[in-house]
Amino acid sequence: MHLDLEWVSKVRVNTQAVLKRAQQIQGRKVAKKQWQAAWLLKALTCIDLTTLAGDDTPSNVHRLCMKATQPMRHDLLKSMDMHGKGITTAAVCVYPSRVSDAVKSLKAANSSLPVASVATGFPAGQTPLKTRLEEVSIAVEDGATEIDIVINRTLALTGQWAALYDEIKQFREACGDAHMKTILAVGELGTFTNVYKASLVSMMAGSDFIKTSTGKESVNATYPVAVVMVRAIRDYYLKTGHKVGFKPAGGIRTAQESLVWLTLMKEELGDDWLNPHLFRLGASSLLADIERQIYHYVTGRYPAYHELPMA
Amino acid sequence: MAGISTKTVHDIFQNMEYGSSSTSFTTAQFWLEKHSRTLGFFADGKFYCPADRQMYNVTDSKAEVICSIVCAKDQDVASVASSASAGFKTWSELSCSQRAKVLRQSAGVLQRHSQCVSELCELSQSPTSPAALIRLAQYYTSWAQLRDTLMPTWTPRGIVAVVVSDDCSVYSLLLKVLPALAMGNAVIVVPGRSTSLPALLLAQLFMEAGIPAGVLNVVTGSKASLGVKVAQNPHVNYLTYSGSKETGEDLAKAAAGCGLPMTFSFSTSSVCPFIIFESADLDSAVDGAIEMGFRKKKDCQWVLYVQESVCDSVVARLRLRMAAMKCVPSNADRNLIDTAVQGAQQQGAKLIQSCPPPPAGGLYPPTVLCGLAPSSDTVISPSPGPVLPLITFRSSTEGVTIGNHSVHGQAASIWTEDLTLALESAKSLSVGSVWVNCHSVMDPALPLCGRKESGNCTDGGKEGLYQFLRPSLSPTLPRSTPVSINYDEFGSAASKFLIPEGFDPSSVPRFYSQLVGGQLRKADSGCTRSVLGPEGTVLAHCPDGGRKDVRNAVEAAIKVQPGWMKKSPATRSQSLYSLADLLEKKRLEIAASIQTQTGISLEEADKEVELSISRLSDWAARCDKEGGGIPFLPQSGSALSTPEALGVVGVVLPSSKPILSLVSLLGAAVAMGNAVVMVPSEKYPLPALAFIQVLQNSDLPGGLVSIITGDRDKLTHALANHSVIQSIWYWGSIQGCQFLQYSCACPLKRLWLHCECEENEEKGGRDWTSSNPSHQEELWRRAVVWKSVWIPTA
Repeated sequence: MHLDLEWVSKVRVNTQAVLKRAQQIQGRKVAKKQWQAAWLLKALTCIDLTTLAGDDTPSNVHRLCMKATQPMRHDLLKSMDMHGKGITTAAVCVYPSRVSDAVKSLKAANSSLPVASVATGFPAGQTPLKTRLEEVSIAVEDGATEIDIVINRTLALTGQWAALYDEIKQFREACGDAHMKTILAVGELGTFTNVYKASLVSMMAGSDFIKTSTGKESVNATYPVAVVMVRAIRDYYLKTGHKVGFKPAGGIRTAQESLVWLTLMKEELGDDWLNPHLFRLGASSLLADIERQIYHYVTGRYPAYHELPMA
Repeated sequence: MAGISTKTVHDIFQNMEYGSSSTSFTTAQFWLEKHSRTLGFFADGKFYCPADRQMYNVTDSKAEVICSIVCAKDQDVASVASSASAGFKTWSELSCSQRAKVLRQSAGVLQRHSQCVSELCELSQSPTSPAALIRLAQYYTSWAQLRDTLMPTWTPRGIVAVVVSDDCSVYSLLLKVLPALAMGNAVIVVPGRSTSLPALLLAQLFMEAGIPAGVLNVVTGSKASLGVKVAQNPHVNYLTYSGSKETGEDLAKAAAGCGLPMTFSFSTSSVCPFIIFESADLDSAVDGAIEMGFRKKKDCQWVLYVQESVCDSVVARLRLRMAAMKCVPSNADRNLIDTAVQGAQQQGAKLIQSCPPPPAGGLYPPTVLCGLAPSSDTVISPSPGPVLPLITFRSSTEGVTIGNHSVHGQAASIWTEDLTLALESAKSLSVGSVWVNCHSVMDPALPLCGRKESGNCTDGGKEGLYQFLRPSLSPTLPRSTPVSINYDEFGSAASKFLIPEGFDPSSVPRFYSQLVGGQLRKADSGCTRSVLGPEGTVLAHCPDGGRKDVRNAVEAAIKVQPGWMKKSPATRSQSLYSLADLLEKKRLEIAASIQTQTGISLEEADKEVELSISRLSDWAARCDKEGGGIPFLPQSGSALSTPEALGVVGVVLPSSKPILSLVSLLGAAVAMGNAVVMVPSEKYPLPALAFIQVLQNSDLPGGLVSIITGDRDKLTHALANHSVIQSIWYWGSIQGCQFLQYSCACPLKRLWLHCECEENEEKGGRDWTSSNPSHQEELWRRAVVWKSVWIPTA
């Protein structure tokens, strides 16, 4: 849709009320036993299993892809009667240079799991627009079907919403058919109002998902900031009828946290947002903890890490 | 519930529903078992379960009996009261810091047993956060410590009865009990159905904390008449009530004439506006509305007011958020909800409901009734259960006007990001508590002071302590037994026209006029009464005022009072100083009128006038000094506590020190921004009538002060039956006190009653000449209501 600056200018966020709401959501308990197991499995299927390191090579990317297609020990799934139900993570997420490795590994394993790539000068976004656009095109050419772009924080902080809209719009075109997830880097946006406005502008420019952070800022995905973004998604849905997804990323490590994230989505947006089409968790070590909790649910014992296959 | 265990992981994975969480009540059940699930009333630090008493059952949410409790009989009430007398003696002789120590220990005991307290409250369907109770205990610990330092000329009232209705929360109960204890009173708690078990547990826990036996007593029973029995007990010195209007009103009427001061907060029956302005963070506002509207147990009723320009956005968000909500269990009568919802639909209301209501039973889906008008029945008296009426308004000013147009005045929640609008609205709303961008924030530091039908007492804060204290030197209302009065015909007896004997035609007595609406007037009836001097001669004729004169005076008063209140305190102060100057000029004339009227020496009369001039100057000086304060809360944010004028005050003046008492009361009321309608004493009206010329020459707006002479009972009746009058200060007969207590229960007024019978006068009555600071403090606190504004910040 077109940029609606009037809508953006009307945004109001009351910080203390948002913090209170976030606390309320965290206080909400998911029931134990099979509810916990089922919810954890749901969280698992929403994970974008990620490796974004300087020392990534084809071999650890391969391991990551294999873990993504088979995220949990078969016997554990079987005992819950969840085997053969397509329990995989939602995608794997790598740097642009590793996209081809990931695509190759997954193809070899006969998996249709999507490969996501970060792009546009990840994580700072401080490279020329031209190279950022090219980065997107290359990743798409290499077979990435999902692109995680980062926004230009300079534009957002100085309130140049029209310029930001134009940039994202160009990324959108460069993505072609690939899904575009827009990383707002909320830790660097200053206020909740800025987060809300940046969310709206990103969605207007055609993002399929909005994502909290790169995982490289000092402040990552927090529940209050998520409440703000999710409300922007709801606002956008109410105005346009278009459902945009949400992806918290950075610092999500425990199974308990993943349950809170699901609760947050259910409470604020409803059940429609409780699946990988509209909800992703950007994480690397979360999977291991979920597997541990499921192991405990099935066997009643806590496993040592070596009892569960590594990624 | 069958079916839960059969849900497979896959089923849940598909529909992603929440499981049902079960809470355990093992600690509370253990406590109940220890007492064999039978509890009696609590006195002398022990439970008493006399045999051959009727019992009543307390049930949990599944209607299972969890405990039986003794219904106290008359002799039980008497033994509780004598236990409290002994308790008061011990407790009031302790030093402030000793009492504070006990309260601090009780906070510790509450902390240690918080699990049991929380479970028992939940079990008796009165869920309470133990943290809030601990905060109460800690807050009042420090007031106990500081009583003599900060309020040195005040003493505790004695035995305080705290009566609550069935639907009152444990928090509201303790919000009265703890300050009463902290100020050095002994307390008799008369709990409601849902608070009886928690009250008994707390009484036991406070014993563990070291409170002396008899200081905290709990008397239990199933009938509302128990409160009346406690009120009738001659040992009790003060009664304060919290809860529903119906029970409270019955109590007020039944206990009228006992000579017992009583105050009421009708918080649970109050209807509060929840106002969403277009400048609000709509999502947060909707969150708030959902949180407060669909609670299992509501502290008060809410009506949603939404600015027209954002109504669609609010409704869309409500619809989305409510879609996934489950039915809420509600104790309310299902028929009442159905009738209310159907009634609203017939008036064209549109429903937002997560699912159609189940055919019967205690569950009802969260429901918003859109498109209602203030005239709808469901708005005037909102239905119980999770039902929330929604009304739109055009401008922010209209939002406040609609919110104010209600007989209730408990609290309001306003939502806007515009600070100026928030503060302006907070100021204009005639409610006790304003919550900006939040709702239902309860903290003992914030005074709760209902307006109109929501109550006539102040709880919480320093402001709320004074109800449990009295100035050390002032006499108390003598206890009495109610007499049978025909309340409808009170004061309607034909005026006793005195046909004076030995009429001396050579000295024609003067005809005085009264002051109504700023003008000298005859009585509406045209009749006059003769005023007799100390030797029984006719000194003058004064108007025989009545109902219509009071009506005219009140109408004039409400026209000028808002303007007077809006004037800056400094301006009010100057007006009162000039009034004092005018009195100075007429000093001789007024003194002469006192002398003629009462027969005291001119010297003495002059002294009274001199004191009156200085009293007026006192009030002039106080105008811009009593400005409320900034309470400190544990949460981050800004709080304000400000005094506001009551509106129109009716004063029936005493006959002792006719000018000094008039000036003291008038000064207090007018300085704080009120208008007054004054009735001079029947016996000595002349000085007041002479004072009219002083008033007339002053720059007080005409109509702010009216002086009406006539039959005291007739005029008292007229004052009591005018709903605009928010408060009556009365000096008069025992019957008059009883009449006022009865008839001012509905519509509710703030009463300050004094019995001016012969024996009391000999004991001295109130010493008007005293310059004791607590006397003036008491007066100005009687002349204001408190408003607390809470603006939370991150």
